[in-house]
Amino acid sequence: MSARMIRRAITHLVMITLVLLWILPVWSSLLMGFKTTQEYRAQQFWELPKSWAILDNLAAALSKAHLLENYFNSMLYGLVGAAGAILIAALAAYTLVWFRPRLGFLIFMVIWSGTIFPSQMYLIPLFRSFLTLHLYDTRLGMCLFYIAIAIPFSVFVFRGSFSTVPREIGEAARLDGCSNMGVLWRFVFPLSKSAVAVLLLFIFIWVWNDLIFGLVLTRSTRARPVMAALSQLIGAYTGGTNYPILMAATLFVTLPVVVLFAVLKNQFIKGLTLTTAGE
Amino acid sequence: MWRKVTPYLYLVPALAFVGFFLLAPMVRTLLYSFTDYRGLVSMNIVWLENYVAFFNDPVFLRSFLNTLVWVAATLAFPVLGGLLLALLVRGIRLEELYKFVIFLPLTISFVTTGIIWGWMFSFQLGVINRLLEAVGLASFRQPWLAQYPLNNFSMILAWTWQSTGLNMVLFLMGLTTMPNEPLEAAMIDGASRATLFRRIVLPMLRPITTVVVGIALINSFKVFDLIYVMTNGGPARKSEVLAITMFRESFTEYRMGYGAAIAIILAILILAVSTIYVRQMALKEER
Repeated sequence: MSARMIRRAITHLVMITLVLLWILPVWSSLLMGFKTTQEYRAQQFWELPKSWAILDNLAAALSKAHLLENYFNSMLYGLVGAAGAILIAALAAYTLVWFRPRLGFLIFMVIWSGTIFPSQMYLIPLFRSFLTLHLYDTRLGMCLFYIAIAIPFSVFVFRGSFSTVPREIGEAARLDGCSNMGVLWRFVFPLSKSAVAVLLLFIFIWVWNDLIFGLVLTRSTRARPVMAALSQLIGAYTGGTNYPILMAATLFVTLPVVVLFAVLKNQFIKGLTLTTAGE
Repeated sequence: MWRKVTPYLYLVPALAFVGFFLLAPMVRTLLYSFTDYRGLVSMNIVWLENYVAFFNDPVFLRSFLNTLVWVAATLAFPVLGGLLLALLVRGIRLEELYKFVIFLPLTISFVTTGIIWGWMFSFQLGVINRLLEAVGLASFRQPWLAQYPLNNFSMILAWTWQSTGLNMVLFLMGLTTMPNEPLEAAMIDGASRATLFRRIVLPMLRPITTVVVGIALINSFKVFDLIYVMTNGGPARKSEVLAITMFRESFTEYRMGYGAAIAIILAILILAVSTIYVRQMALKEER
């Protein structure tokens, strides 16, 4: 019995150490975000800030770097990307699952293949097409692109969840004169609510966190998403004395996803199961 | 008649979006990789010249090596660490809290992780060097991100911090779906913990291990954001991986034909690893 207790104590000791190590980066960053530049330079990192400079830091970051505009851009891209991809993917998955077209699996694989390859495979031609079509550095172009990149995963998820909807529902509805579209939007889609929730969450976070497409497809504050904008602040702020300002901006930009995660933890884990089932 | 045709029309938007934004660019990247395209209107077909040039390009060769280091280190730290954590944390008190903390970094972006760990590693005021000073180990202070190959490993540490949680959660899923009977039977037979683990837990974890390792391999080939933020491949392009080299050649040096060829190599590596891996595991299962 006592051997078991010792083992248990060691386990907890190891876990607590790890938890502290895991928290250290976040904790020290939080503290830094609250400090003035002078405090940051004079204090040890573990000392508590005497001033509540986070609002000043944030104001400096938002006004100097126009980060607020990027923030709203990313909100827009996340919401439009998720909504657009969900609607378009639901249509496609509905056909694939309910009408079982010839070559259906091939069509699915073609759509799905869009997620296997690294982003580097798309960058150069996209950059070029965006320039010639005047989509470069526009909000419209970014919305369209984020819709597109989220479609393969969405089709995959809906393909799974639609096939669990009993077919009798659709057949009964059709006998009552319901159109194909009616069956989808009135019966199949509402019955897949949890898949829709998972997709909304995942696509929004993916778009919010995207860096590379924001870097390549935009140039100005007008269209640039938030992570690409944040990444461009780094050199200017870390080298000089403005580290707390960069950190306050980073915390501000990270807040939405952390809140989403804390509130929707279970949805998030469920989404992960789906992602892994697909690889 | 309409009823039969309209369902096919529902596929059109998805295929159009995916075709235009993803599939066509993929094909065009392949075509560009055979040219000397530099972002201008004119370009020449140079066939395999870009691919041959790899062998004489020290930046590419080092980048390739670094990519392999990242992949190997990913298997050693986040994957193995995730497995150990899953075994350690399962069923103990405060399990939910432990899991939550280890998992949390997964939700934040790589850019954020890069900035936070850039601060951890920064030379003068950074957390790690200050901690070393505080415990009297000032001589161990390092320019963690400014020196190659040390900075490779500093960044891999940040990567471990961020991605271990995912592997832990996936392994935990594998453990929860595992039936209890074989374990109980073996325990009644008096098998030791080590035997239990090696003979029963590990074999039953094999399916989820395939998934975890597969995802980890693919993700480690794709690492871009973290390096872009932390060292941007420096100093002197020494800590680049293929994903970074491709970006730099294409959008800083404007050697887009060459960049396209690097993208192709990266894609081939990812495809090869995933197919070899899946096939090998499938064969093992059969035996």
